[in-house]
Amino acid sequence: MDKKQGEHQPILEIKNLKLNFHTYLGEVKALNGVNLKLYPEEVLALVGESGCGKSVTALAIIGLLPENAHITEGEILFKGENLLKKSKEEMRKFRMTECAIVFQDPATYLNPVLKMETQLKEVILLHKEDLKRAVIAEEKGEKIGYEEFLAMKNVVDKQNKNYKVSQKKINEMAEKLILDILKLVKLPDPQRILKSYPHELSGGMKQRTMIAMALARRPSLFLADEITTALDVTIQAQILYLLKELRKKIATSTLMITHDLSVAAEIADRIAVMYAGNVVEVGPTRAIFKEPFHPYTQMLLKAIPNIRNPTTRLESIPGTVPEMINPPPGCRFNPRCSFAMDVCRKDKPELKEVKMGHEVACHLYE
Amino acid sequence: MKLHATYTNESSKNEELLRVKDLKVWFPIKSGVIQRTIGYVKAVDGITFNVLKGETLGIVGESGSGKTTLGKSILKLVKPTSGEIYFEGINIVKARRSEMKMVRRRIQMIFQDPYASLDPRQTVSSILFEAMKIHGIVKSKTEAIERAIKLLEIVGLSEEHLYRFPHELSGGQRQRIAIARALAVNPIFLVLDEPTSFLDVSVQASVLNLLKDLQRQLGLTYMFITHNLAVVHHMSDRVAVMYLGKIVEIADKDSIFRDPKHPYTFQLMEAIPLPDPEVKKERVLLEGDVPSPMNVPSGCRFHPRCRYATQRCREVEPQLGVRSNGLVACHYEIDFSSDKIVGEVVV
Repeated sequence: MDKKQGEHQPILEIKNLKLNFHTYLGEVKALNGVNLKLYPEEVLALVGESGCGKSVTALAIIGLLPENAHITEGEILFKGENLLKKSKEEMRKFRMTECAIVFQDPATYLNPVLKMETQLKEVILLHKEDLKRAVIAEEKGEKIGYEEFLAMKNVVDKQNKNYKVSQKKINEMAEKLILDILKLVKLPDPQRILKSYPHELSGGMKQRTMIAMALARRPSLFLADEITTALDVTIQAQILYLLKELRKKIATSTLMITHDLSVAAEIADRIAVMYAGNVVEVGPTRAIFKEPFHPYTQMLLKAIPNIRNPTTRLESIPGTVPEMINPPPGCRFNPRCSFAMDVCRKDKPELKEVKMGHEVACHLYE
Repeated sequence: MKLHATYTNESSKNEELLRVKDLKVWFPIKSGVIQRTIGYVKAVDGITFNVLKGETLGIVGESGSGKTTLGKSILKLVKPTSGEIYFEGINIVKARRSEMKMVRRRIQMIFQDPYASLDPRQTVSSILFEAMKIHGIVKSKTEAIERAIKLLEIVGLSEEHLYRFPHELSGGQRQRIAIARALAVNPIFLVLDEPTSFLDVSVQASVLNLLKDLQRQLGLTYMFITHNLAVVHHMSDRVAVMYLGKIVEIADKDSIFRDPKHPYTFQLMEAIPLPDPEVKKERVLLEGDVPSPMNVPSGCRFHPRCRYATQRCREVEPQLGVRSNGLVACHYEIDFSSDKIVGEVVV
């Protein structure tokens, strides 16, 4: 897809996604018609409080929902194909080549009893055919690095089909590529890291290797679920900086899930604000901060302490996030909203473009 | 009903409430069959500071810097290895059990995780009654109920929450119960250990507002421990910055945030993400991680990550010394805007 066309054609489009969780207390209506578009090579931050459905959205995209979740309505289109219609095997392929996810706490996603080398190699060794081709090319005298390896992603050549390559050579090639990938995420002393167990690494290092694993195959879709939340500020700054740098090198579309508006401000091109299972506002980062339309976004921005612009009192949002088993009818924010009208209690507002590229789901703007 | 017998805010300003002198908390590392001590984790390694009546002292630092251990050692929830902590004339480090009980009535702590700090099998009422009973605050059951309701109202809840269990409450409400429990015994000093890091932004705002209101109404003194710099800026009068078990800089809030003197403080301030996309800073990022407190670097603990480090920093550990607006533990005076060392501290 060329870039010009790409600007109008989203790579990922979620249409009216509704998702429920079965629990013994009843149906938890976690997503209530989510609409979201992700354009090629952009970073879209999905911002919201805990329980608003941002992580569930990511899990639905990548097909890793827990068993008690079921999608009742809607579709998730990736490059025009509906992911929800795909089989398990197709989804596995999708995760292998097109999409990657990194979660909040790297410690829980790395296997504590395996060395980093084994875990990283596992990712690369899945692509045995590509590795085989890389080995053959190297034997022919070509220089093979990470870039060249990635270029082999979709090449199909028949002439090498019967060429035998020993497992040892494939292993060696995998090791070489892993080192390249670790250098890409700026890990100091990658040799040592490969020989370490996860507990020997710091949180920041672990998260870097997770990012390395995710980006190893240069996915066209990168889901980052609270990847800096478990880290210290100085390490968070390093990781955000790394992501910014990688953006220039790797043209990936990123969906960055975070509860921290400041992190979103740092890195995102656009921000989507979620509340209780709905996207209530989407717009360019600057517009969201400068001129938020939705009352929830307005209040959320006033609730965070700002060092540059200190206030003596923070504005808190009255009430709590609604219970999702019996959510309030109409707009789910209406019980906490100071502008709530009769129509808010009856009809659910839909996302509407109010300004260029700035959409909001609120009856105030109709 | 009066919740507080002593101390008003105004008359007591600038009076020292708590003094910590050269406090050390070392945890032994044991190994082998006979559990021989092979080394120490120096979680807190020689800290001196004081807290004034009615103020909020913010303690910031990254994970592993020893801030939580410091908070706990003030209530002797971990036993200090050496040093002195003076509170109302009592040295907490050496205090006997009976004295500690008295101290713990005056100092209360609020923990980070309201899901872990409240007993899931106790109702809110029994959580609150227990605290009052232990310290003999109330004489009869009716008085206890009356007081519990009053406490709930103070923290923004109501009588209907009295007979609920913690699982029936939201995170913000649980933290309010934890605050109510702390206030049940009329403390004058609260150690707040990351009281809002488990909460969402909108809820965090209301809890922070509540803490500020309580401080004003009841004349409380706070020690506010957090890793969130924006929160500490919002809450504190003075801020102490910790790195690997030491205080590297302590000064009033504005100096720390606007004019930091220690290179670590400066880097910390640089790393704060701002909720403002208009500000695009060209950052000099701090490299590397916090070293393990098991083997602390020689000399200045920050030197392996410090861009200004010299031979002196590698060899001699700097002590907290007076600068224009606070105490700084650095051998050099650094002008961060021109990225140069402009002076040296001579001992």
